[in-house]
Amino acid sequence: MPSTDTNLADRSGQLVDLHTARDPRIVLFYFFIAVLLALLIGGLAYQQLVKVDAYADAARQQTQRRVFYPGPRGVIEDREGRLLVGNRAQFSVRLMLDQLRPELRREQIRIRNNYRATGDKDVPSRDQLSHLARVSVVQRYLNQVNALIGRNEQVDGRRLGRHFVRELLLPYTLIDDLSAAEYGRLWEGLPVNSPAQVYTMSAREYPYGSAAAHTLGYVGESDDVTPDDFPGEDLKTFRMKGTTGREGIEKRFEETLRGEAGGAIYRVDPAGNRISKPIEQVLPRQGKNLRLSLDIDLQIAAEVKLAETEMAGAAVVLDVLTGEVLVLASKPDYDLAKFSPRISAATWADAEERGAFFKRAIQGAYPPGSAFKILTTIAALRSGVITTGTTVNCPGFFVMGRKFACHDHAVHGEIGLRVAIEKSCNVYFYKSGFDMGPDTIAAEARRFHLDRPTGIELPDETRRMIIPSPEWKRERHKQGWAGGDTVQMAIGQGFVLVTPLQMACFAASVARNEVWTQPTLLHDPERPRQRTEPIGLKPEQRAALIQAMEDVTLTGTAKILTNGRLLPQIPGLRIAGKTGTAQKDAEGGKKINFAWFIGFAPAENPRIAMAIAIEGDTPGEETGGGRYAAPVAHAILKTWAEKQSRAAQGLVRFKSE
Amino acid sequence: MRFKRLDQARPFVTLAIIAAAWLIVPTVVKTFARASFFELTAPVAVAASRARDLQEYWGLRLHSEHELIEAGRDLARLTASYEFGVQQNSELRAEITRLESLLRLPSLPAYRYEHARVARRDFSGWWQRIVIRKGRNFGISVGAPVVFTGGVVGRVTEVHATTAVVELISSPNVRLAGAIEGDSRTVSFQGGINPTFGPPMGVVESLPLDVIVTPNAPKRLVTSAYGGVFPPGLTLGLVTRASGGSEGLFQTGDVKLDERLGSLTEVTVLVPVNKE
Repeated sequence: MPSTDTNLADRSGQLVDLHTARDPRIVLFYFFIAVLLALLIGGLAYQQLVKVDAYADAARQQTQRRVFYPGPRGVIEDREGRLLVGNRAQFSVRLMLDQLRPELRREQIRIRNNYRATGDKDVPSRDQLSHLARVSVVQRYLNQVNALIGRNEQVDGRRLGRHFVRELLLPYTLIDDLSAAEYGRLWEGLPVNSPAQVYTMSAREYPYGSAAAHTLGYVGESDDVTPDDFPGEDLKTFRMKGTTGREGIEKRFEETLRGEAGGAIYRVDPAGNRISKPIEQVLPRQGKNLRLSLDIDLQIAAEVKLAETEMAGAAVVLDVLTGEVLVLASKPDYDLAKFSPRISAATWADAEERGAFFKRAIQGAYPPGSAFKILTTIAALRSGVITTGTTVNCPGFFVMGRKFACHDHAVHGEIGLRVAIEKSCNVYFYKSGFDMGPDTIAAEARRFHLDRPTGIELPDETRRMIIPSPEWKRERHKQGWAGGDTVQMAIGQGFVLVTPLQMACFAASVARNEVWTQPTLLHDPERPRQRTEPIGLKPEQRAALIQAMEDVTLTGTAKILTNGRLLPQIPGLRIAGKTGTAQKDAEGGKKINFAWFIGFAPAENPRIAMAIAIEGDTPGEETGGGRYAAPVAHAILKTWAEKQSRAAQGLVRFKSE
Repeated sequence: MRFKRLDQARPFVTLAIIAAAWLIVPTVVKTFARASFFELTAPVAVAASRARDLQEYWGLRLHSEHELIEAGRDLARLTASYEFGVQQNSELRAEITRLESLLRLPSLPAYRYEHARVARRDFSGWWQRIVIRKGRNFGISVGAPVVFTGGVVGRVTEVHATTAVVELISSPNVRLAGAIEGDSRTVSFQGGINPTFGPPMGVVESLPLDVIVTPNAPKRLVTSAYGGVFPPGLTLGLVTRASGGSEGLFQTGDVKLDERLGSLTEVTVLVPVNKE
């Protein structure tokens, strides 16, 4: 036993020696480990210290998403603050196309295999297969949506193709007119990680439907939604579609109305869900609001009456003192609500067919007919060709190369200026015009700015107005001026073309006894009275002119306004006006009529001035100004007078739901 | 020696082979395997749940008779108030039926109530769900709403033979159409990213700008009828904060959910009676 213990002690000593000895293999192993550790630490340092920015960027790009939102547009109100164009929530369901890549690839293979399986040799090309796969996959998601909300929407292949070509990075809109109920169903029903998701955007809202459609205009989609100096340019970015003004005030005041885009950077999980409040956020800002000079009560009154005529036409009403436009109406028009969120092709085609896009108030260049006689009168009085006492014998026609008939082929006999205006005697003005000559009439018209656009704050105001002169005819028609041209011009026929807006400005200018009224669509309660060059009539000449215009509405061609037979009387309102019935050659040798009424009220202290123009729709049919245009003026004046009466009584109208 | 070392590496090699095999196994097999695994392990969760119930039962047996009498009195009071509520409900139901026939409205969806014990809770930052002790055997279907006395619990996302998985409304995977109590406008509710032991929170979006909410004057968020899954008027939570949303038309806010969601022991599944 002792010997055994000794052996063990010896062996243990050897073992200790063995472990403490510097075995070269162990050293080599240590060295190897040390090198590996050094490599590991070096690599760690390289990754952590040198490549830290690159990895941080990569992680940031993978876990953060940038979203841009358009700012809501400013609202548009009428002069009394009533909302004409507002914003409402627009619910849509959109498809993130970039998440569909594997699905599209599989679908493409499936379709190709189906063709091959059926032995069809006419396998579509790669592009065709790609398109078929896109439509098929997108329709699959649309069917999910259809099932949830009970619709039967179909993919528009052409629109989808365009989207893939031009806007692949943007989500594709499956349906953009979801109701609140449908939005709720989809919000609950669509899986959180589905490529199809619901979105809320801002869309235009038109509480008054088609009222002032041409003036207000509409908006279209825009991709220009980028906030200024927003960080994260390297991040995956989603841009919501914005809107831009396409017509009317929306277009003209785009810069004012357009909101400032906002943006946010979110941290997301691998499925794309937001997992935090925005890391960076700039809230979108609403565009500035606009207060228009329109009075929606008068606008609706004008439009309702215009619509009752069932003919195309326009009505313009101005505030005499400030030039603010109270009414700017054109018919036919379109329902603005159908433009939001977007107009359908069928509605667009229908509007085009009806001529609803033509803004007659500012684009319609019509011969003014007898309404122009007011200008001829002013020119004649100022040039001294006639006085307030000048009389002319009207045998029912005037001979100037050929016979020019009087108004309604009437024989007025020996008449003075007042009756000539009241009865709209053509012969009186044929003679006065001929005596003055075309240059005097044209010069007077140019003083009233009838030869140029008014410069109202709307796009597309026509420049086709014509105040003819011998020089103009030489240049335009390469012909000499004839005496017949002068007499035609004197009664607002022949080559003379003006817009309803111009004639409203003319009426306002006459009411104010000045030569020019600058119309404006912007309301400013502090806007000063406009002051331009006086017309230059002597007081007795002006008095005679105003009296004659009042006679027109009392006993003349526009007596329908006051006699209370066909239209209710407007108590206490004296109206000065002039009708016109211009003619234009139509097919079959017949003529088509344009009915006019220009005027202002109250005659003794003018506050509003107007011009109404109605296009006759049947060649050969008598469409007189007194019969067709004056009732529209009556509706406007009646509404205006009632409002004035309410205001005078201090009645307050409460808004009701 | 070399063979010995290879022998030691056998577990790693086996693991690598299994992992490689799993990668090439068809999806159907994987799905089946997953479902089978759940069905196989379900009895364990159910047994544990029943054991807890038993433990609770014996724990209650230790209470004194005096406590039992007190509890009985409380229960009697509660029963009386519920009976009154039941009477009111039946009157209201009759009124609803009368109005429906008067206005020729379609009947509101009817539900069968299926009470179920909670077998397991599974909370994390990514999901928040519970497993209940009833499944296909009680006619529960995927998507069925689940409620408790405090309002909405969540929605059934998976149904198995004897169990079902309910995704809680505190989970970011649950979205519901809601409305502020007394306001018919739809708002969007989504569960938030909730830490395991934190108070459950959600997020509300599309909140109209005219809804004023402060922590001192929170607004109750309830289910709206628009979603089509939940009956209207069930409590989702309290909107405690709201601020301007990103699109400038609505507000975004925080929703404080019922803290009892984390300790539920019994829930009620609403099973549609006349499901189309």
